[in-house]
Amino acid sequence: MAINLDPKVPQGPLEQKWDKHKFESKLINPANKRKFTVIVVGTGLAGGSAAATLAELGYNVLSFCIQDSPRRAHSIAAQGGINGAKNYPNDGDSVKRLFYDTIKGGDYRSREANVYRLAQVSNNIIDQMVSQGVPFAREYGGYLDNRSFGGSQVSRTFYARGQTGQQLLLGAYSGMMKMVAKGKIKMYNRREMMDLVTINGKARGIIVKNLITGELERYAADAVLLCTGGYGNVFYLSTNAKHSNASAAWRCYKRGAAFANPCFTQIHPTCIPVHGDYQSKLTLMSESLRNDGRVWVPKKEGDNRKPAEIPEEERDYYLERVYPSFGNLAPRDVSSRQAKFRCDEGKGVGPTKQAVYLDFRDAIKRDGREVIAGKYGNLFEMYERITADDPYKTPMMIFPAVHYTMGGLWVDYNLMSTVPGLHVLGEANFSDHGANRLGASALMQGLADGYFVAPYTLGHYLASTPLEKITIEDNAFKDAEQAVRLQTDRLLKVKGKRTADDFHKELGHYMWDYVGMSRNEAGLKKAIDGIRKLREEFWQDVNVPGDTGNMNLELHKAARVADFLELGELMALDALERNESCGGHFREEYQTEDNEAKRDDEHFAHAAVWEYTGANSSPVRHKEELVFENLKLATRSYK
Amino acid sequence: MSAGNMNLNLKIWRQPTGAAEGKLVDYRVEGVSPDQSFLEMIDVLNDQLVRKGEDPIAFDHDCREGICGMCSMMINGKAHGGYKNTTTCQVHMRLYKDGDTIIVEPFRAKAFPIVKDLTVDRSGIDKVMMAGGFISANTGNAQDGNAVLIPKPIADEAMDAAACIGCGACVASCPNGSGMLFMGAKISQLALLPQGQPESPRRSLNMVHTHDTLGFGNCTTHAECEATCPKGISIEHIARMNREYLKAAFTYYEKSRSEGGA
Amino acid sequence: MMAAAVNHYFGSSIGRKQLVATTGLLLCGFLVSHLAGNFFLLVGPNAFNLYAHKLEALGGLLFVVEGILAVIFTIHLGLAIKLNIENVKARGGAKRYALKKNTGRGTTFMSQTMPWTGLILLAFVILHIKSLKLGTYYTTVVDGVTMRDLYKTTMEYFVSTPATIWYVVAMVAAALHTSHGFASAFQSMGWNHGKYFKNVKRIGYLYAVLVSGGFAFLAVWCHLKGV
Repeated sequence: MAINLDPKVPQGPLEQKWDKHKFESKLINPANKRKFTVIVVGTGLAGGSAAATLAELGYNVLSFCIQDSPRRAHSIAAQGGINGAKNYPNDGDSVKRLFYDTIKGGDYRSREANVYRLAQVSNNIIDQMVSQGVPFAREYGGYLDNRSFGGSQVSRTFYARGQTGQQLLLGAYSGMMKMVAKGKIKMYNRREMMDLVTINGKARGIIVKNLITGELERYAADAVLLCTGGYGNVFYLSTNAKHSNASAAWRCYKRGAAFANPCFTQIHPTCIPVHGDYQSKLTLMSESLRNDGRVWVPKKEGDNRKPAEIPEEERDYYLERVYPSFGNLAPRDVSSRQAKFRCDEGKGVGPTKQAVYLDFRDAIKRDGREVIAGKYGNLFEMYERITADDPYKTPMMIFPAVHYTMGGLWVDYNLMSTVPGLHVLGEANFSDHGANRLGASALMQGLADGYFVAPYTLGHYLASTPLEKITIEDNAFKDAEQAVRLQTDRLLKVKGKRTADDFHKELGHYMWDYVGMSRNEAGLKKAIDGIRKLREEFWQDVNVPGDTGNMNLELHKAARVADFLELGELMALDALERNESCGGHFREEYQTEDNEAKRDDEHFAHAAVWEYTGANSSPVRHKEELVFENLKLATRSYK
Repeated sequence: MSAGNMNLNLKIWRQPTGAAEGKLVDYRVEGVSPDQSFLEMIDVLNDQLVRKGEDPIAFDHDCREGICGMCSMMINGKAHGGYKNTTTCQVHMRLYKDGDTIIVEPFRAKAFPIVKDLTVDRSGIDKVMMAGGFISANTGNAQDGNAVLIPKPIADEAMDAAACIGCGACVASCPNGSGMLFMGAKISQLALLPQGQPESPRRSLNMVHTHDTLGFGNCTTHAECEATCPKGISIEHIARMNREYLKAAFTYYEKSRSEGGA
Repeated sequence: MMAAAVNHYFGSSIGRKQLVATTGLLLCGFLVSHLAGNFFLLVGPNAFNLYAHKLEALGGLLFVVEGILAVIFTIHLGLAIKLNIENVKARGGAKRYALKKNTGRGTTFMSQTMPWTGLILLAFVILHIKSLKLGTYYTTVVDGVTMRDLYKTTMEYFVSTPATIWYVVAMVAAALHTSHGFASAFQSMGWNHGKYFKNVKRIGYLYAVLVSGGFAFLAVWCHLKGV
């Protein structure tokens, strides 16, 4: 089957591509916009900002969210900040530098034109959020304050205490609420998207499950925007929220939307370590802590002394030692890997030996407790609540954890997937972060897509595509609903012995052990084999009590796990096929002498794009060659 | 499954649907670890129930790091357990003793009808926000972020108010079931910021009107909301709302005009 | 909706609450003047009766003032009862939780008992007017002028131990009521500022102790003097 992977990047110089494209895009006059209906699935930064903006423009928006309110989407948990190339601190920042840092940070595996556009609109985002009433941190003179994040040598991160994601999301949410009140957005809470409906090859609707009544509902539209976030929860333990799942994206994949770079996952270096089997999720400690905290392990293996008893000369500040120019602010993939190396050497700390120290002793000595409390007080409190340790007195213990997925549904420059009309925004798409995302860039991308990109490109699609008249009584809707119903019945009929969580946890072990921070051929093959067997077992032995007729939480959960069990295999397969190391994808076979990732630009300077070919056949790997016209491919170095 | 040695007796509110009768049901959970979170303890209980083929306890939760505002339980008579600046998901079992009996109920108020077990319908919060909890700045309108200067103390105070996670603990713990704290926090945040001030009178009038219509109660300054707010939001913000409302009620006026023209 | 919202002030939660607050503060002011007058008891019968006579001599004006006071009192009382009934509904009925505890950082005994201390004060005011203002009408002559001997009525009333105890109990209720109400009224009017509010609270407590204490002291003094 032919699949069209034309990225549709506009011609012309990089700096002018987006302006040119906007000018060349077709417009719809205001009176006609109200004749179009758009479905937006998800209400995080991407979905929330898109829904609000499209409704402001005059489209009828149907918005769906899995929680009880759009204000709870997981964007809310982002702590540290959002990048913008404002160059307010006068430290050499520019659109071009943000572009360069992002491409380099992503280890040259992202599309130049998309990233440049992202850097261009980053400034508009800051302005827009200020105008929405986001209380960004200010200096005494009233000007916006900035701080630094990993992978850059300028201060370009805007922040609202340790709750930047929350404040941005509430900004987008407030914009939505304004349009809900005006009747331009119809809000559907506690709904989960179960399938995509395509008619004549175009995305024209969705099937959703009402999570309270268990009933399936059909919604038709002229286009569908998928803003459902990433799939980090395939690992079971991650920093994602419990409801974050891959099902919506996965069902779209099965309806023809190609999946790009599924193996590119980000393992965040500073999370609170795992402490027991019963653990349900991992908690991130903001990267901003690395502005002042120093990461170290004891030089001696198996050193069981308390951190305060270990003298300075017996501590290995390994990030400062290995990467003198970036030090503790080395990018996430690099920092995570270094932490893993130290623990593999037997120098890990804490009861499980799977942790390193993040120490504020020197910062407190230098700036005083009050200054540190002003910057990180709420994070310190949060750490103490979870671990019962006081970070003012004893160093934090941290360990990497799954945090973000750079991979996602493939989209072209217009953010449209390989299914016409299905646009994918935010973390759910693969577009901007390559093989590794820099800190404070996820918020930027979600809002860029929703506020400033999709409103233009969607208008062009609607204006230039013939859209037939359809209703939810069409066969495509009936068939899609029937398929969901069949799967649900199948889940309920098994009545086996193991819970959905059991399977999910076992899948998580495969993923973490073999498709995690470092991967090798043998391990990946083992994972693929193991996951296949686990999936078979799932369909024979899962236990889902109850029926469809009410708020059946186990049923909702089991359906998501079923999809994770398929996605996990694709991730391992993608990792196996990518015979190089880049960014967060570290193949042990491909590393330099000093254990850095070794890219193979000759064979792998492309996005791997997977096409679904049916339940009983293997997916097909396509390539979108990445063209670097403006930046030279170079070995990434943070030394 | 668990690694600890605490045994607990739980009395948990079970109610199959909003319309059905509910009651407290006794459960026992064994081997709880002090490092477990309260929700992870309920997870263990639910796991046991599912293995027995019973319906697990429905409770709202999502981020489990204290920011989404989804979790909502009255633990031993206090919203989120009553610990300072803490949501239910951040309550850890080390705060309880072996052999304790813990009563768990849903957040209750007229404006928060029960959906199932510990899950309640808090859509009233969204409805109050819809009435004016925003600044009407359409995408594309914005001027430079530094064009309007905001002194640090004002920005900080606005942030204090903006920290609201919309969990509804204020309503659940208020003896009057009043929503003044979450509403006051939003009105206060936007009234403090220059960009929110043009709409402030209209916002206060409409939001308060909607709040009242939805069946939230009146504020009688118990300040129990402030005490249980997981983000420690002060009732000073309620006072600022009262001020804004008073001012608006007596000075704000919109003449009806027809907008025509060539 | 806009015009409705403006007109709705007196029907809105905050509007009515602000009326309860302003009427409450006005009543607080009235109590101070009432107490000041009562202190003439300590000076002696003539001084007290002369003071009462001067007030009565105002005639129509006194009638108007008393009318205003009655209106203020009625608004305060009526709205407070209405708010309370609404609040019981808003919390989801009387049986809300199987177990409800306060954190100890918010709700106080005073704030919780506002409706009850209020009702005690209502009963007190009715009895107080009945047995003193509308009590036995004695006359006396001071400086050649015949006037009502309110001093005698008062002293007679406080001879009774139960009456004195009831009065003191009512004053305890008044202290509890005003110690929450005073600062709460400021809060309702929007006068809560981080810089000052602690002092407003302190003044509220001081007011409660001094004013209610003053009344109670005079009642006990009358009782001891009368027996």
